[in-house]
Amino acid sequence: MHTDGNHIAGLLAEVFTGELTAAVRACETCGARRPVGAHRLYAGAGYVLRCPDCGDLAAVVYERGDGYALSLRGTWLIGRAP
Amino acid sequence: MAGAAVLGRLTWRVATIRDMREETARAKSLVLDVPDWPGHLAGQHVDVRLTAEDGYQAQRSYSIASAPEARGLELTIERIDDGEVSPYLVDEARPGDRFELRGPIGGYFVWHAGLDGPLGLIAGGSGLVPLMAMLRHRRAAEATNDARLLVSAPRFDDLLYRDELDGARITLTRQAPPGWDGFTRRIDAEMLQAIWPAPGARFYVCGPTPFVEEAARLLVGLGHEPAAVRTERFGPTGG
Repeated sequence: MHTDGNHIAGLLAEVFTGELTAAVRACETCGARRPVGAHRLYAGAGYVLRCPDCGDLAAVVYERGDGYALSLRGTWLIGRAP
Repeated sequence: MAGAAVLGRLTWRVATIRDMREETARAKSLVLDVPDWPGHLAGQHVDVRLTAEDGYQAQRSYSIASAPEARGLELTIERIDDGEVSPYLVDEARPGDRFELRGPIGGYFVWHAGLDGPLGLIAGGSGLVPLMAMLRHRRAAEATNDARLLVSAPRFDDLLYRDELDGARITLTRQAPPGWDGFTRRIDAEMLQAIWPAPGARFYVCGPTPFVEEAARLLVGLGHEPAAVRTERFGPTGG
């Protein structure tokens, strides 16, 4: 059972040192532009984030030693902090 | 305020339980003192981390229940029987106890009184927690926009914040008390249509994944803009 991108808001804030769930991701497969918080999240040993419209891979994040491994797909539109 | 709540590196802080309140047989609200708390927006959550004597750590996310205007940060936690964190927080923790917390977290599932227009809130079970923060904030900010809340729970005794649900539409899906005049079925298009007859509201839907997806699907089917429907799901794991 999946949840959504809100679930890893803390993890993303740690990796990016900023809030990321309101960022909009443009899917390179279906073209949908959806906030990261609205993406589907699958949790296992790490996290897999998928486009809510077409299911295409958006991100893979997992803990790795003293840091994280991160793979991103599509275009992430991240607002500048106010 | 909005900037202060989202800026800056997340740091773990030590929260001290000031007060506890029983909400249902399975849920308690914890009022916390958190030194240097930067403030939050309604809808945001925190990560809570418990560390055992042997160093084992368990971490969970909990929505903030209090308005940004409130004194003290309030979380409402429902016990998940085989959970690693919630049984401690609901059954064992006492005022004066301390644990680690970081936040506020999240920028998508948030509402503030500066956003005008009607507010549509749909909660499944303890998905009511972040929505109650929005309603409490709306009250504190004396906002006058139209706001409607629909809460779905199995039984009356499962409802959180019963004293604050005046005006809310409630559906009890398993058992209703005698004389109950609210809904008694799972959410459906007819129910949502009765509460929100026309598009235009900004929706926040929170609850278990199947509930949230059904509510979002129904809203879009009724002609509400997909972008106007914000969702937050919680899964079977956690607690």
